[in-house]
Amino acid sequence: MKRLFATGFVVAACATTGADGDGDLHLPSVNVGPFRKLGNDEVPGIAPFVLDDRTAYYREPAALVDGADVLLFAVAKTPAGDVIVRSRANDGRAFFGTSSDSGRSPPVVLRPTEPWEGGVVSGPSAIRMGTDILLFYAAAGGIGVARSSDGGLGFAKVPGPILARDPAVAWETTQVTAPGIYALPDGSLRLLYASGRAIGEAVTTDGVRFTRRDADASTPAIDPVLGPGAPAAPGSLLPNEKPPFDTASVGDPCASVRITPAGRLHVRVLYTGRDEAGASAIGFAARYGDEGPLVRNRAPVYSVGQKEIAPAYVEVTGGAFLYVQQERRVNDTLFYNAIAAAFAPGTVKLPAPASYPDAP
Amino acid sequence: MRRLRAVLALVVGLVALERSAHANPPDTYGFGSRETAMGNAASADTRGFAANYYNPAALARSRGIELAVGYFGASHSMQINGLDTGVDPVKGINGGLVVPGRLFGVPFAFGLAVHLPNDRISRVRALRQEQPRWELYDNRNQRLFLAANVAFELFPWLEIGGGLSFMSSTRGRLDITGSANIFTPDDSQLRHEVDADLTAIRYPQAGIRVKLDERTSLAAVYRGEFQLSLDLGAHLAGDVSGLTTALYELETHSVNNFLPQQVVFGGSWLLSDDLRGSLDMTWMNWSAYVPPVAKLDVVLDIPPPAGGWPPSITPPQPVAPTRIEPLRMHDRMIPHLGIEWRAYRSRKVEAFVRAGYEYSKSPIEPQTGLTNYIDRDRHTLSWGFGGTVHHLARVVPASLSLDFHLSYSTLVEATTRKASAADFVGDYVAKGSFVNLGFTTTMAFDGPGGKGDK
Repeated sequence: MKRLFATGFVVAACATTGADGDGDLHLPSVNVGPFRKLGNDEVPGIAPFVLDDRTAYYREPAALVDGADVLLFAVAKTPAGDVIVRSRANDGRAFFGTSSDSGRSPPVVLRPTEPWEGGVVSGPSAIRMGTDILLFYAAAGGIGVARSSDGGLGFAKVPGPILARDPAVAWETTQVTAPGIYALPDGSLRLLYASGRAIGEAVTTDGVRFTRRDADASTPAIDPVLGPGAPAAPGSLLPNEKPPFDTASVGDPCASVRITPAGRLHVRVLYTGRDEAGASAIGFAARYGDEGPLVRNRAPVYSVGQKEIAPAYVEVTGGAFLYVQQERRVNDTLFYNAIAAAFAPGTVKLPAPASYPDAP
Repeated sequence: MRRLRAVLALVVGLVALERSAHANPPDTYGFGSRETAMGNAASADTRGFAANYYNPAALARSRGIELAVGYFGASHSMQINGLDTGVDPVKGINGGLVVPGRLFGVPFAFGLAVHLPNDRISRVRALRQEQPRWELYDNRNQRLFLAANVAFELFPWLEIGGGLSFMSSTRGRLDITGSANIFTPDDSQLRHEVDADLTAIRYPQAGIRVKLDERTSLAAVYRGEFQLSLDLGAHLAGDVSGLTTALYELETHSVNNFLPQQVVFGGSWLLSDDLRGSLDMTWMNWSAYVPPVAKLDVVLDIPPPAGGWPPSITPPQPVAPTRIEPLRMHDRMIPHLGIEWRAYRSRKVEAFVRAGYEYSKSPIEPQTGLTNYIDRDRHTLSWGFGGTVHHLARVVPASLSLDFHLSYSTLVEATTRKASAADFVGDYVAKGSFVNLGFTTTMAFDGPGGKGDK
């Protein structure tokens, strides 16, 4: 009997081997980072760049999901001046017309043609309205909007600007720029924009005429939704802890909306933060509800020290892509702006990139 | 009355003890099928190998050698936002033995108990404090439990006992020296040493059992605090492509598993000849919980080369220590109710049906800030049945028992709402459940004419 028990212990102990641990599947996240820059085996060209050309200087991306594809709008340099181009990727990474997609280049969808634009178009921000695409953009005289009914290849401009700097607003020390359009669940549109060192918000009832919204109704003046971050108090930083990254200015807002599992409206904003030394990083600020100031997370969601700015964001199955303007350094003397990509959650490894699409 | 005063006096003495030990898996899943089926309301009525956990004093109830072995498996369904997070099951062998005897005429017993997990003896995980995890169900229960106790029957109505539980903490160090070539890494020449210790840690526990009369017993048990530490160090020193030198020192310390001290008061009543009821109240000192966040000390010294760094090289920056957010937990009183009905009795065979209930209110404060130590209030219903065959054979003066248990625990759904809209995790809804199924078989060698334990 005792031998039987002893045998039972030995057999049971030898019958199985240890399994890999788990317990961290499907963890909750607001899906805005921190982002991991894509690796060499995740993009067709030089990582982390997904749209680059040493003459086009692609900048200031805007992204839009189109079925299973991702549309990317960006500012490009041409001999005639800056324009806005459009590209497409089937997988969010292999974009039509990038430098390794030889012989092809993204088509121009918007050029400066109106007097108020001053020969400049920049800072695209795209949104779907029914079957149309609205493309908001910045120009010398403010922010304008154009509408496309053919999936974003041809745009008709709305007489503009739809928003310009208001000298009565104390913090709007420069022309309004960098529009970031988003829609609330009821379909109404909100427009974030940058001016001076801060980010403001405007609302519309018709998608064309916008009215500024005060982030703090308790004060008589119109307040921005997000201003530069406060510097760290003397002695408050731990050894080797980095100071706040956005104490000089905030700009380039990119907004998205969701309903939290608790049923709250959650407005999420990615933005460019700059410190006093001029270094930039991508930050995350947000609020619950459709009004009021944004609160920031003190840590950047993307910071690689390559002058990354102008975030664009799309959610896809399994995570989210972040596209930014980033300096591509070929060697000590040759560097230019290009569009880089990152992914969240950072633990996910993307499969090899797809082939380039046949059309933009 | 004298017996009650003795209980009170010895309880005070027990509470004064510090640094006892206790095991996680039995806390959550029980130990022994009979006791688990009775909602773990067992401090006053446990016996045999299970007494090593529920009340060491009850080891003295055994009148012959007892050997027990069983197996259980607990499968979890712990969900956040409707999706299963994949918390590992806990399964393994439970077993032990009791060896009674007499010392200077005083009955005593020695007991040994073990929970041997299927998958791993121990698991340590050092997670970022922001990462959501089921704090009381994820990593804590993935470990071995080993305990040894002795008990004495000082008087026919008074038993005391105590003993040690065993675990090991981990200390490790990695040393790397040599020359690193950052331009052609394959030409690097590095030597490494790994030095790791699994240091044994022993923790005592103690209990008392008082038999007020033939139908009523009272008990008190003290299980002290236990911390399983994980200390890791790394040392890297050497030459970097002839450009400069590098020195990197890393020391981390974390408490990877923390068990709060506990005091249990229990009672067992024979309501009729065939019906027994038990009640335990367990106080758990959760407010002393130590967050499982690693403290980090880093030294990084890479002097720039004489001509400065090449443009293509960005020297690494030392990592800042973590700002550890406090984890606020509250002490809890956990009620356990158990009932056992002897459904059948003959000269040779007894059969039992059992049921139990326990309620554990979550000790963790709502996680509205940076951290995400997820937990919910838990209700547990348990059932079981078993039987004992006495006097197996004329030449084998032993009884054989076989018991089964099934318990179902539900963690009540609740919503966590984050205070900051800029939190990376955001709001979530969490709930869970788990099922614990197992059996235990016990052989008790009562001796000729013996009636087994009292």
